[in-house]
Amino acid sequence: MRKFFPVDSLARDSRFNQITMKQSQADPRSALIATEEKRPKTNRLQPSRADASDAARSLMHGIFVGEIQALEGAGRTCHDFETGTEAPFALKLDMARQAWDEARHVEISVKLSEWMGTEIGQYAENTVLFEAACSTDPVLRLAGVNRALEGLAIDVFTTMKEFGDIAGDPFLEFCEDWMLADEVTHVKMGSDWLRRITENDPERRKKALEFQSVVDKIFSFGGTRSDSQESPIGLARRFRELAGFSDDEVEDIADVSLRALEERKAFARQAQAEAVEQFSAS
Amino acid sequence: MTVSVTPANFSFVDFDAELIRRIGDGLLEVLGIDRPVHVEVDETTPLGRVRTEIGDTITVRVESGAFEDSRKPRQQSDEATTANLGRALLRARDRISGGFGEAPADDELSLRQIAAWETYCVGRLARMGVPVNQQRWKYNFRNRHGFTDVADAAFERIWASDGLTWGELETVSLEGAGTPS
Repeated sequence: MRKFFPVDSLARDSRFNQITMKQSQADPRSALIATEEKRPKTNRLQPSRADASDAARSLMHGIFVGEIQALEGAGRTCHDFETGTEAPFALKLDMARQAWDEARHVEISVKLSEWMGTEIGQYAENTVLFEAACSTDPVLRLAGVNRALEGLAIDVFTTMKEFGDIAGDPFLEFCEDWMLADEVTHVKMGSDWLRRITENDPERRKKALEFQSVVDKIFSFGGTRSDSQESPIGLARRFRELAGFSDDEVEDIADVSLRALEERKAFARQAQAEAVEQFSAS
Repeated sequence: MTVSVTPANFSFVDFDAELIRRIGDGLLEVLGIDRPVHVEVDETTPLGRVRTEIGDTITVRVESGAFEDSRKPRQQSDEATTANLGRALLRARDRISGGFGEAPADDELSLRQIAAWETYCVGRLARMGVPVNQQRWKYNFRNRHGFTDVADAAFERIWASDGLTWGELETVSLEGAGTPS
């Protein structure tokens, strides 16, 4: 079986349409830079938002495809590295267990999507999550996937759980709570293995943490996740603490997320100006 | 009666003004609306809000997300254009044709009232053959009326109805929310 599978070869049927982060970011439209009149008071995903149902459906589909890619990433880590020389057996066992969890999450997400009136593949699939799982160093995968990606999952599930709770949706609140518990475990696995494997290799640890920081910024999705009310998804500080993040690490992620939000707004302003210029010229 | 569309050409999204116009013309015929309609698309935002002003001309202001193919960002969807323009025009027709005189202005409607009216519109569109996902609208209705059997029964009644007045719609909606008038 092939090792180190490329992101453009993931198995998907015709219902799915995949887009890269670059394509997604190239959209000159942005709700973030709308005028006061047009901009919602808050972008945070809450039932009080007029578009709450559709926004929740869209996010749920994002969770669904994210779970598929997380399953593929954890499964790949079991296969891509030689046991013993490249990755300890116990690490691969943890990744196998995670793959089992992710497969269950995919099934739960499909059921929740049906419940919310969404079809499989109804929204474009951003493949950025799997891209972070393509590193050739298992420690970098743990940092990028288990700590950054699964850390984002903690924030997303917390937001969705609260949404279900406030809306009175018993299934959404219950399912998100269960998946959230698994994600905390996955992040903790990543934190523990990162420390163990790099215990006597500070340079490798530094490199892994830098990679995590880069992935955290990418996973901030141009400001989709941050402490700001302009971001649909908040930062779940308490659950991150339970998952083994230090206070300093949480603060770093908060800073990175806010910077990503500001950079996205600046990028969108520039893209809109360029689009207007092109339109005027034509 | 005819439909006009602005802008004629799009730069932020790959939309076709002529396609919007044709879909609008078809809807006017099916819905029996005898006033000109102007569709104004705001292509600078990906949000999907739709607002309607009724005068001698019905003006529908649409954010580009309402006509977009969610599978293919920035591309137009025939289905989304039909369903969302159809909803806006049905609401306008309700207000014009009577029975909805006591309905609050659009920006004064509560989220519950909007959900009830949307359900009423989409149910009628479905019976006209416009492809819609009923579960999507049930989920929206539940978010605004509660996740209860009473709310589901109210949804089914509204979805299957034709010729409701605002008062009748509001009564069923309030019953669904567990707060009968």
